[in-house]
Amino acid sequence: MRTAEIAHLLKLEWQLDRRQKHAWGSMALYVVSTIYVCYQGVRHLFDIPTWNALFWIILLFAAFNALGRSFQRENTGRQLYLYTLASPRSVVLARTIYNGVTMGVLSLLSLGAYALFIGSSPMNDARLDIFLLVVVVGGIGFALVLTLISALAARAGNGVGLMAILGFPIVLPMLLSVMKASKLALDGLGWDVTGKYVLWLILIDLITVVLAWLLFPYLWRD
Amino acid sequence: MKGWWWKLLSVVLLLYVVIVGLGTPLGPALVHVSIDRIAPGPVSLEATGYNTHFAENTPDVWLENDGQRLCATEVKALSDVQLSATFIVPEGFRTNLTSLWAWDPQDGTIVLREAFFTEGLGTGIAEDSCLISDAPRAGFSFPNRSILNETIRNLFFHVPMWFTMMVLMTIAFWQSLVVLRTGDLAADSKALSAVDVSLLFAALGLITGSFWARATWGDWWTTDPKLNGAAVTVLIYAAYLILRGSVPDPHKRARLAAIYNIFAYVLMMVFIMVLPRLTDSLHPGSGGNPAFNQYDLDSSLRAVFYPAVSGWILLGVWAYTLHQRTARLRSIYDEANDR
Amino acid sequence: MKLTIVKPLTIVMALLALPMSTFAASSAPSWLQETMFASGKINTVVMVVSVVLIGIAIWMFALDRRLGKLERRAKDQRHTGQD
Repeated sequence: MRTAEIAHLLKLEWQLDRRQKHAWGSMALYVVSTIYVCYQGVRHLFDIPTWNALFWIILLFAAFNALGRSFQRENTGRQLYLYTLASPRSVVLARTIYNGVTMGVLSLLSLGAYALFIGSSPMNDARLDIFLLVVVVGGIGFALVLTLISALAARAGNGVGLMAILGFPIVLPMLLSVMKASKLALDGLGWDVTGKYVLWLILIDLITVVLAWLLFPYLWRD
Repeated sequence: MKGWWWKLLSVVLLLYVVIVGLGTPLGPALVHVSIDRIAPGPVSLEATGYNTHFAENTPDVWLENDGQRLCATEVKALSDVQLSATFIVPEGFRTNLTSLWAWDPQDGTIVLREAFFTEGLGTGIAEDSCLISDAPRAGFSFPNRSILNETIRNLFFHVPMWFTMMVLMTIAFWQSLVVLRTGDLAADSKALSAVDVSLLFAALGLITGSFWARATWGDWWTTDPKLNGAAVTVLIYAAYLILRGSVPDPHKRARLAAIYNIFAYVLMMVFIMVLPRLTDSLHPGSGGNPAFNQYDLDSSLRAVFYPAVSGWILLGVWAYTLHQRTARLRSIYDEANDR
Repeated sequence: MKLTIVKPLTIVMALLALPMSTFAASSAPSWLQETMFASGKINTVVMVVSVVLIGIAIWMFALDRRLGKLERRAKDQRHTGQD
């Protein structure tokens, strides 16, 4: 595991995604259309808990959709090529970082679209700095957990359906704490209350990365 | 049969738990009083006890409000569990919640906290000079807590289910590590056995917890962090079984299942350890709940609780070895068939 | 062989279903007050202990059935092996 190698792999990811722009487009389209469907159902939401819960559920499904592809598109040829070139730990770290950044950006975009359609009044009294941090950390957290799960599901050869089954119970604890933290931030509570939740979320993120780093080599070799 | 002693030990421990856990009487308590508010002037009331012995020695009865005591002017025992008492309530109690106390040599001091809403508040009453004994009672019994009452015995049949489940999941985790290190299919079969049996104990824990919750918290299911943890745990291991079902190749199945198990186990442990500390829980150890506190598990409960935990864990491990031996036999026959 | 396993299993299931059905039928709290909450809620303890026993019994029957299958296979294998 070398930083140069990881940087190289990250560049490779970026170039591949740029070549097939529809990947980005489909992610954004998925989020926007989900939000639009919700908008048709509920119009504007003014109740903070409901607004908060709906946002995180949308983001969760967006994460499943975006990350489901993460290892699916790997055809055997390219995987074999990567396998001979790079160490598996570099591959998983690069992929995790890439997915984390993608989800961090995607969660902010989702928040924008969500506020536009469903209404932004619950954010009026919020501590915006904490709330945005929780949204980004939460989105990144989903990405980190689901990266390994996505690889696992792809290896089991049973696509997105299996990924939902495997990923949901593992993401659930994170979802519960992230919902709680963001609700506290929306209520306008400061660091003294939300701080421990944010720390806890960052802790899970770190543990997840360490686990992925430790376990991925066993998944990668065949 | 080698190594039979711990199986015998588990049976002996559980026998002890059933006999002592169900046979020990609950300590005496006041459970009900006929009126729920008192005002200055003469007040007479009837109080109901549980496992009390009012008829043998008429108890002393008094009220207490913010540390100030008021003794009954007249006490009559109607039966072992029923007494009537009369008070002349003066004006001037400091707070609006008054508790009812009683003492007799056989039952010791018993109390019904916050029994009355109090009217005619002031800056305090003239202290009574009545003599009150608070000599403790003798004898072995379980504490009689309000709301919990007899269900405190469930401590020996509900909580150890989770301990056993955790031990079995830890075995599965360990075997999964072995699978990744050596690629040994036997270890994979052991992990599967441990998960299978741990799900039995998880189911028992959920169902028994449901009954207990209904009797104490008034609902079959609550959104308590401990319950969320239990639900997540069951979902994770159900997913583990589904993952196994969807991979046909045994070596690949063993490896993928082991990776998922390790990943899920570590995250679950972190979740179970940390999250209840972040949020309020109805379960022991958090503020404002009607259950008992971890730290006031008194010695009589401990004398049964620890044997119960060890007995159930041993039984769980025993069930796991039986499951494992059956699985091994089956794989032997499968191999013989293939040949 | 099959009958001996199925029969006790159905009895156990029926025993398990019996209290369940009474619970389902009794949405009125008065019934609960009378049974689960009466005399210091001792009946809750009875239910909890029964659930544990029934659960372990069901598990034992499942194991019994698994072993029975293996026994049958062992018998078949011996026959075919000797022929």
